Amino acid sequence: MIPPNTTRVVELKIPSELGYERVAREAAATVARRLGFTPERIDELQTAVDEACTNAIRHGSKSDARMKVVVLLSADEKKLDILVKDPGAGDLPPTEVVAPDIQAQVEGRSPTGGLGLWLIRQMVDEAYFMEDDESGGNQFRMIIYRTTDESRSAFDNESPSTDDEGGSE
Amino acid sequence: MTDDIQVTARFERGATIIDLAGDVTTFAEEAINQAYHDASSDGAHNIIFNFREDDYINSAGIAILIGIVTEARKRDQRLLKTGLSEHFQKIFRMVGLTQYADLYPTLEEALASIEETA
Repeated sequence: MIPPNTTRVVELKIPSELGYERVAREAAATVARRLGFTPERIDELQTAVDEACTNAIRHGSKSDARMKVVVLLSADEKKLDILVKDPGAGDLPPTEVVAPDIQAQVEGRSPTGGLGLWLIRQMVDEAYFMEDDESGGNQFRMIIYRTTDESRSAFDNESPSTDDEGGSE
Repeated sequence: MTDDIQVTARFERGATIIDLAGDVTTFAEEAINQAYHDASSDGAHNIIFNFREDDYINSAGIAILIGIVTEARKRDQRLLKTGLSEHFQKIFRMVGLTQYADLYPTLEEALASIEETA
């Protein structure tokens, strides 16, 4: 008999090449469906995982297909805890995330793009870069609750120091 | 590895309809921009991007669409978007794309809107 609070872990390794982020997002959706996530939360999860893996491929390993991006999906009854690791071969992670200025982009005053991290923060309950692991790579962690009610309940029971809240609906 | 995207264009009831089927990601950039520029070269004023409900769009895809909005403003074209899932409608609103391109649930509603304003 499996204990009720057992965490199920799925580990993926994808080549650092754009296009393979789709493998990660579809795997995450499959795990979330098994956990009973609502369709809305599955959509949000897929966007967050896709963007995080795209960043890891594009910025964390310079789209070098010889490198790998590791995605760890740890599922319990209420939430999915996602860790995306890259080799840290490219840019340093940003220290702050700003909302896109769409008007400036449309008027040509700032370049298009730069939406990924901001979008992730809108989709999940927590999202942040962790301290470097021993390998010197980047580790990006995201937590998403199964339903928006469980998300609210989790944060209602927390202390107010929630700098990394994603602001999900 | 490339993602599948099919982009086709047609003219109907005063609008150029660009049908998109598949993943709207960085791999779609060339095909979408080509379809848009072809439509513009043909003098299109009303351009509808007709998505399928199961299309996937990431931030690179949104950036492609922002680029097209920028071009469309210069050409005084009207952009409309139809067929998006609720999730991507929400994202378009969050990002602010709906200030520049009207969202309609269906193609028929978008076409009716164009006919009303003609």
